[in-house]
Amino acid sequence: MDFLYPLAFWLFAALIAVSAIAMVVTQNIVRAATWLLFTLAGVAGIFFLLGADFVGATQLLVYVGGTLVLVVFGVMLTAQGPFINLKIGAGEWAIAAAVGLGFFSVLAYVLVGFEPKVPANVAVRQAPHKAEQPLAVGAAAGSLPLADNPETRSYHSLASAAVLGEALLGFEKTAPDSPVTGVRDIVTVGPGGTSSQVKIVKERTKMAYLLPFEIVSLHLLVVLIGAAYLARSKRRRGATS
Amino acid sequence: MTDSIGLTPYLLIGALLFVCGAVCMATKRNAIGILMGVELVLNGATVNFVAFAHYNPAFEIEGQIFALFVIVLAAAEAAVALAIVLNFYNNHTTVDVDTAEELKG
Amino acid sequence: MPEFLQSNPGYLFVVATFLPLASFLLVLLSFGMWCVFRPYRDTEYGAVLYHLFGGDAPGRTPAYFAVVAIFLAFLCSIVGFGLYTAGFYHVEKKEKEVKDIRASLARPENADKKKELEEQEKKAEESLAEVKTAWENAWTAHFDWIRIYAPGQNDPDRGTVLQLGFRIDNLNALMFVMVTLIATLIHVFSMGYMADELAPTYADHQVHTEDGHLHRRGRFGRFFLYLSLFCFSMLNLILTDNLFQIFISWELVGICSYLLIGFYYERQSASNAANKAFIVNRVGDAGFIVGLIIIWTFVGSFNFEDIFRQVRWPSRTAEGELRSGAKLVRATAEGAPTADGKQTLVADPDGDQVILYPSDLVHTKAGAAPKPGTRIEAAASPKPDEHGSMPYWVLVVAGLGVFLGCVGKSAQFPLQVWLPDAMEGPTPVSALIHAATMVAAGVYLVARVFPLFTPEVLIIIAYVGAITLFIGASIAVVMTDIKKVLAYSTVSQLGYMMLALGVGGWTAGPFHLLTHAFFKALLFLGSGSVIYGCHHEQDMTKMGGLWRKMPITAFTMLAGILAIAGVPTFSGWYSKDAILAEAIGFAGVHHEHMLLFLLPLVTAGITTFYMFRMWFMTFTGEPRDLHVYDHAHESPWTMTLPLMALALMAWLFALGWYPWDASASWLEHEIEHAQPIAVSANFDLEHKFAVSYHEVTGLIVLVLVSLGFTFAVLLYYWRTLSAAETKEQFGRLHTFLSNKWYFDELYSAVVVRPALVVAHWCKNVDLYAIDGVLHAVAYATKWVSWLEGRFDNGVVDGLINLLGNVTFRTGVRLRGLQTGYLRSYVLFLVLALIGIVVALSYVVMATAAP
Repeated sequence: MDFLYPLAFWLFAALIAVSAIAMVVTQNIVRAATWLLFTLAGVAGIFFLLGADFVGATQLLVYVGGTLVLVVFGVMLTAQGPFINLKIGAGEWAIAAAVGLGFFSVLAYVLVGFEPKVPANVAVRQAPHKAEQPLAVGAAAGSLPLADNPETRSYHSLASAAVLGEALLGFEKTAPDSPVTGVRDIVTVGPGGTSSQVKIVKERTKMAYLLPFEIVSLHLLVVLIGAAYLARSKRRRGATS
Repeated sequence: MTDSIGLTPYLLIGALLFVCGAVCMATKRNAIGILMGVELVLNGATVNFVAFAHYNPAFEIEGQIFALFVIVLAAAEAAVALAIVLNFYNNHTTVDVDTAEELKG
Repeated sequence: MPEFLQSNPGYLFVVATFLPLASFLLVLLSFGMWCVFRPYRDTEYGAVLYHLFGGDAPGRTPAYFAVVAIFLAFLCSIVGFGLYTAGFYHVEKKEKEVKDIRASLARPENADKKKELEEQEKKAEESLAEVKTAWENAWTAHFDWIRIYAPGQNDPDRGTVLQLGFRIDNLNALMFVMVTLIATLIHVFSMGYMADELAPTYADHQVHTEDGHLHRRGRFGRFFLYLSLFCFSMLNLILTDNLFQIFISWELVGICSYLLIGFYYERQSASNAANKAFIVNRVGDAGFIVGLIIIWTFVGSFNFEDIFRQVRWPSRTAEGELRSGAKLVRATAEGAPTADGKQTLVADPDGDQVILYPSDLVHTKAGAAPKPGTRIEAAASPKPDEHGSMPYWVLVVAGLGVFLGCVGKSAQFPLQVWLPDAMEGPTPVSALIHAATMVAAGVYLVARVFPLFTPEVLIIIAYVGAITLFIGASIAVVMTDIKKVLAYSTVSQLGYMMLALGVGGWTAGPFHLLTHAFFKALLFLGSGSVIYGCHHEQDMTKMGGLWRKMPITAFTMLAGILAIAGVPTFSGWYSKDAILAEAIGFAGVHHEHMLLFLLPLVTAGITTFYMFRMWFMTFTGEPRDLHVYDHAHESPWTMTLPLMALALMAWLFALGWYPWDASASWLEHEIEHAQPIAVSANFDLEHKFAVSYHEVTGLIVLVLVSLGFTFAVLLYYWRTLSAAETKEQFGRLHTFLSNKWYFDELYSAVVVRPALVVAHWCKNVDLYAIDGVLHAVAYATKWVSWLEGRFDNGVVDGLINLLGNVTFRTGVRLRGLQTGYLRSYVLFLVLALIGIVVALSYVVMATAAP
């Protein structure tokens, strides 16, 4: 079953790649919208693969179901006859292709072999050894809840929806050792793989994102009003632009 | 199991999305097309964020928070951009951005 | 005032000198006023003032001023002369007294009266000394005008002084009387002669303009203006006691001569003659200035007394008195000069130095002239009581220089060329200036500075005079213009005077000067009367038989001619005899200079000849031109009166008792009183010789005079010999003489032409070289500025333009970036992004590498 994850990943990656490139290449605006849809779906899948369930869900809900629909509406309103297919010249394609390839190659060059920097008291999650088995779900290790149990933790990231929600609400819990207090333990497993070499490092996380949350909501309000105003119905001007 | 892929491929996907979005912005004559490019770019950035959130334990919460915000802001931005495009369409009876060349020096 | 004049009667002569100056200034001022008011002559008061100062036609007022002034000057001179002579004889009487007492003291029979005689002697001496000092102070005065020091010095003993002063002696006083009298007579004569100039317009027939003859305003007043100025200058010349003032007057009379010769300046001939006179005089003045410089440098003073006192050593009189200015002492230097500038000199008659006597006669310890071989110490820059020295040749040069000035002024050979041309001026001018006074100034100066001349210079003076008198007489023989005859006669007579002075006849020279003044002025005025009567006809070949028409003129002129010929009892006879006596005296002692006697002797005959020729041609015989004869008339009384007065003077002026004794003239005795010691100290032998041969010489001269008279009568009165045939016979000689010995041509070729060549060369240098340089500089400047313009236009402007253009074009090109297309903007964004990413990645990787 080890192959499932990479398979899923590569499938989604392929979907994204094809859809994104197709979206770039196509001249038809409606088709571009469709390809965008597939791209966004693929991205949502990537999110799920990365364990960001909430983000993936939000992506599907808001992005695909909201933004993309909005875009489609826009397409629908404006794509009259001649505007569906707006072609550009070959020279521009060449330049765009060159720029794109160049850009991608630069980024790829930088990204390949990239080792993210982690602070000294924080360990990077390494690729697990074969010898390392996911710890059994269950409570042989004690009475720690799932999240705190080193054996059970590897499947669960700390960023669950609840935690995210609390973070957005601005909770900053300070009591130590509480599983919902935002203190998490970083588990490092030694090379031997036995639980006796598990290191538990406690770390506080700050979770006060109330202010950005409020700002964004205000922002949304403004956007709402603004968009409504901008898009109000006006007398249509003449054909001349 | 997630670790079998590693960080880099996700970053590459994010890069690909970003590049495609940039190229899409550069090549589409349709204003909506440009908007789509913007969406792609934002998605690429989001993928990046989430990938790092996963692979860097210190960034777990923050990455996803960022991603959420990005998505929200992308939506807002799409709304406004669309309003602009509609206005543009109302004024010029076209969505071809090549006609909007009053800024030509 | 009268007391002042009584104690300083010399100032009478100063007054006499300044009276014509006052007249000159007054007339000048009135002319100035006339000019000032002339533009306003149409207004009420302007017209009054305008006419007051002359109006449209010249008035006689300037003439009245001038005549009155000069007449008053004459009166002053006469009175002054009288006072002087009286004083002189008074002093002489006192001297005689002293002499008598001394003589009686010396006699043995008066031995017992010795004491009272000695007392008498003392008293007489005292009174003599008193009278003498008073008398000497009465007739001389001077003041320092300009003091010249070396820079930084203020010591009154060391600088030099330009003084103004006067000194009267017999010669001066007589000259004053002569000049003022003749000037008065000529002023009166001119009032009649220049009557033509009273008209508002005067037509000058000798000047041709486009539309006939020149018409100009009459210049009556101007004539008298110039005459007054001239009188002042001449009187100043004979008044003064220093060379500096003489030089001032010298130049002033030159100027007046120029102005008066060129009176009718629109005539080319007149203006040329004026230029010639002035320029030739200037040539002489160059020598004069050299002489002045030398005297100033070596003697340190311009005062005559000072000069003579220093140049010549004193000699002791019989009474043991030192009379200064007697003997020239030559010396040779012995050894080298010492450190403080003292040099030992040995008296030596052939030495190359002249020992200067200390200038302070009173305080010096030096004595009379030393014998040869005596050692004297001289200093380089002597104090007033020390001896000085000067090289002998320098003294000779000084004498020659001063004499050169006299050569110019008195029209001696070789500078005699200006005098005949000076006849272009009006006849009264010729009479006053070129017969009586100005030309006499040269002779006067030679007489004055006689002690300055070394024997070499005196010989030269004598020869120059001899040559001149011969040249003048020979040319006068062939002249047909009445004034030209008289001009050459003047040249000749001036030569006589110079000759006399040169041979040591100091009395004879000025004597002849005085008598000549009268009869030559008479002759000129007579010729003026003839010209006036014949309506400005001057050619004698057109005259003849005029004695019937103008008898007064004829016979007064005859008086003049008899005087110049040397007929006994006439003034000229006395003076000419004196000259010839001196000449024979000199020639008798120095046999090698016999020519100096023969020439004047022969010339006396020639003089008689040409003078009578003139008289016969003009006044006797049949009229050659009836037109002229018919219109001839006697001149008015203003002209004939002076003629008669002068005729009287010409006859009786020099008379003495006995009438047949040529050496008995009172005038000669008067002049002799003024004779400087230098003459008697050096020409004693010659004088004795002259005295002993005087009568013989007189007889020989009379023979020659008769010969000349005979020839004149034969040729021109009785016409036994034909003048025309003689002329043909001596054709070549006649041409030579008619052309004035070709002097003018010679000077033209030797002096004028080279000067003109040099002038043309200078003009060309100026035109081509200097102007060429200037033009070249101008072109160079223009070229440089053109270059600079090119540079400025091309390089500088080009740079600026280039800058602007580049900026503009860059801007234009950069403007292309602003496509206005959204997509291209996005592309640029992306490219920039790539760039940033690359840069950042390099940074990151560089820092992350270790």
